[in-house]
Amino acid sequence: MNSTEQALIEPGLPVEIGRIDKELGKLWEETGDTKTRASLINLAIYTESAESVAENTNLISRIASQHACRALLVFANPGAPREEARAWISAHCHLAGKGEGQICSEQITFQLDGEMVAALPNIVFSHLDSDLPLYFWWQGQFREPLDKKLWGWVDRLIYDSSQWDAPAEQFPLVQKIRTLTEIRTILCDLAWTRLLGARYAIAQLFDHSCALARIHEIKRVTISCHKQVTGLLLLGWVATQLGWKLQTLNGRACFLSNAGAPIDFEIRVLAGPTIGLCAFECGDATLEITQQPGSEYFQARIGCEGVSDATMFVPAGKSEIADTLLVALGRGGTHPLYRKALAVADPLLK
Amino acid sequence: MPDTKEVNPLREGLSSRAMPQPCAVVIFGATGDLTHRKLVPALYNLAADGALPPAVSVVGFARRDKGDEIFRKELEEAARKFSRQQLNEELWTGFTSSIFYHRSEFHDLEGYQSLAKRLDELDAQRGTRGNRLYYLSAGPDQFPVILENLRKSGLNRAQPGSWARVIVEKPFGTDLPSAQRLNDLVKDAFSEKDTFRIDHYLGKETAQNLMVMRFANAIFEQLWNSRYIDHVQITASEPLGVEGRAGYYEKAGALRDMVQNHLLQLLCLTAMEPPAGLDADAIRDEKVKVLKSLRPITGDNVRKQVIRAQYGAGTINGKRVPAYRDEQNVNPESVTETYVALHINIDNWRWAGVPFFVRVGKRLPKGATEIAIQFKAAPPVLFNAEEQTVESNALVIRIQPDEGVALRMSAKMPGSSLRIEPVKMDFHYGTSFGKATPEAYERLLLDAMSGDATLFARRDEVEEAWMFVDAIRAEWDKDPDDLALYAAGTWGPIEADELIARYGATWRRL
Repeated sequence: MNSTEQALIEPGLPVEIGRIDKELGKLWEETGDTKTRASLINLAIYTESAESVAENTNLISRIASQHACRALLVFANPGAPREEARAWISAHCHLAGKGEGQICSEQITFQLDGEMVAALPNIVFSHLDSDLPLYFWWQGQFREPLDKKLWGWVDRLIYDSSQWDAPAEQFPLVQKIRTLTEIRTILCDLAWTRLLGARYAIAQLFDHSCALARIHEIKRVTISCHKQVTGLLLLGWVATQLGWKLQTLNGRACFLSNAGAPIDFEIRVLAGPTIGLCAFECGDATLEITQQPGSEYFQARIGCEGVSDATMFVPAGKSEIADTLLVALGRGGTHPLYRKALAVADPLLK
Repeated sequence: MPDTKEVNPLREGLSSRAMPQPCAVVIFGATGDLTHRKLVPALYNLAADGALPPAVSVVGFARRDKGDEIFRKELEEAARKFSRQQLNEELWTGFTSSIFYHRSEFHDLEGYQSLAKRLDELDAQRGTRGNRLYYLSAGPDQFPVILENLRKSGLNRAQPGSWARVIVEKPFGTDLPSAQRLNDLVKDAFSEKDTFRIDHYLGKETAQNLMVMRFANAIFEQLWNSRYIDHVQITASEPLGVEGRAGYYEKAGALRDMVQNHLLQLLCLTAMEPPAGLDADAIRDEKVKVLKSLRPITGDNVRKQVIRAQYGAGTINGKRVPAYRDEQNVNPESVTETYVALHINIDNWRWAGVPFFVRVGKRLPKGATEIAIQFKAAPPVLFNAEEQTVESNALVIRIQPDEGVALRMSAKMPGSSLRIEPVKMDFHYGTSFGKATPEAYERLLLDAMSGDATLFARRDEVEEAWMFVDAIRAEWDKDPDDLALYAAGTWGPIEADELIARYGATWRRL
């Protein structure tokens, strides 16, 4: 390392990039038999914020305890005057099941300065654990031009559309990445992952016979959400699953049901939980899920004649980013419903 | 009421299985250990994971006089103690309001008639649509009267568009005739598709993974036959003694308690052919074929192929433990076996000439259940020539604890001389998948609510297994005193070592 320029980050043992594998090998030799290295995936995280390196290292530590991985944390500093690449190695260990031994995941952290950012695919992807899939979490905004060499490696592209400044501009870039990789890359939007609890709760609501009988009689949907994009994705999911078509009537957007009946909607952006309320009005019944601030559960309520005791509790899912990421890593799948929901939400974003 | 077959379109993609319909779960023997330790914690965990259908009601049916509130309080204490997830007050408050207690004697028909009324009321209040899941968790001697009264009261009959199912806990009979009688009684009340005979071993993740490992990986199935496999060892060991179950265990013994159900089920999963599909009957058809192919052990062969033994006093984990005959409520002259080792042959094309060695015992040094596939040795040339002794490959599927799969193979030790040592490739569920695996009862309860009987035993499976076991018992009954002894804390009697040594093998060191 250049002695006059300190690294912005120090997450572990500094190593020469050409010696990363050897140094990792030495790390494991020194620990003897007491630790077991485990890995199910390569998890790469890209950030352009020096402050988030420590946060991401903590996050990787939490992730690794439940989802063994080789983590590659990349801090890109494209505005740096010098062109330089540096690396650090570290390990995250936790006690296995009944404390018989420690299970460890490796982390390699890179700082890429100046023009060296362009070498990201060469430098970083030569340190993947072979034969394991690459999950790439892109923290921040996507930018043109998109590098086909970079995205061609990625099996799952993770991003959080609720953190974007302009989702309407970012979604087309994400779709372009997917096209570049001949739709092999699976899109994992953490904003969609966060909706899992709400989707379960709404599905559970309509598992009830009274609600299911009215599923095609919905006249109005009201959603309170923390971010508009999240509320629209939820609305898009409901609409696509129930076969609603987006229309403009008298200059106002609404949906038309399969039977041609109009369905109004309202998205309220409010501070609080990801989804604070999702209510369905259908003539003689009101069906809703609500999450109170601080609660870990949605309450699903059915206000319907003849049903006196139909409040259900459904897990809302934890709101911390590590929990959301763990859910995303644990669920797998290709998310076809996300793409359908997005197709409905996209015109409303614009 | 809507058509119950209408599909909720919002369920698509949320889970790989259909969400069960709302139902009432009626537990007979609701004040017993199983309800407190397993069933209610399992239902709570399902609720905590959002996997429980909406408006499920849990109705405890038992003799003791108490009301809903006291019952709920007792279950809360049990759930706090035995649930794998910590109790969340908010969720428990919602969950507990779905729990009810119905007091009645098992033989009292009026108790069932009033239960029917109560379930109808709950249907109206909670929208459970008349769906019923009856769980027979009472003592096995009570099963006939419960089934009889369910039938007489009409509780076994579902309304159109609804269902009524029964889960029967083990032991499912004590021999073939009693199992057939019980099966007939069940059949009088419930159709086979609505009958779920539980074997909690089948609900364990690793037991389910056995089929995935065999049939989702191309490399194993090619080797899974008599051409490459030398023998198979199935072990279920536990350090515990009878632990307050002496009354039951004295009559059952290890052969009935473990071999007839759990171990033969594991053997079936190991030995079965690929099923035609993943539906319950396709899988169970293949398991039954294995059971039908078991060579009966009769006459003198019982002495040659089956070792029964009982533990004497000894030491477990540094503590002195008494002999079986000195345990509370055990007959001081008991000849009940606490250990069995069997040499089983499967007479079919795949397994001809491959022995399955099965052993199960109490008061063994540690608790472990595993299936070990011992492959044949490499040809006696090159590294396997007479100077070298290369251990043959072994594939070990650990069912519990530390669930996982390990493959033993040979590797050259580093250095200029040629030395070969066994090494192990080891997959641990806990290491690779950090999250806690659900309890077997969670999976099985959910399956029964969904009407999926894949992980439950079918009538013919149970009866075939009894037929195999009864032949051994019949021979034992002729000479009840022919019982080996082993000290608690050892790996069983010397006779069991001799049993496997006759084949030129040894029991695996666990």
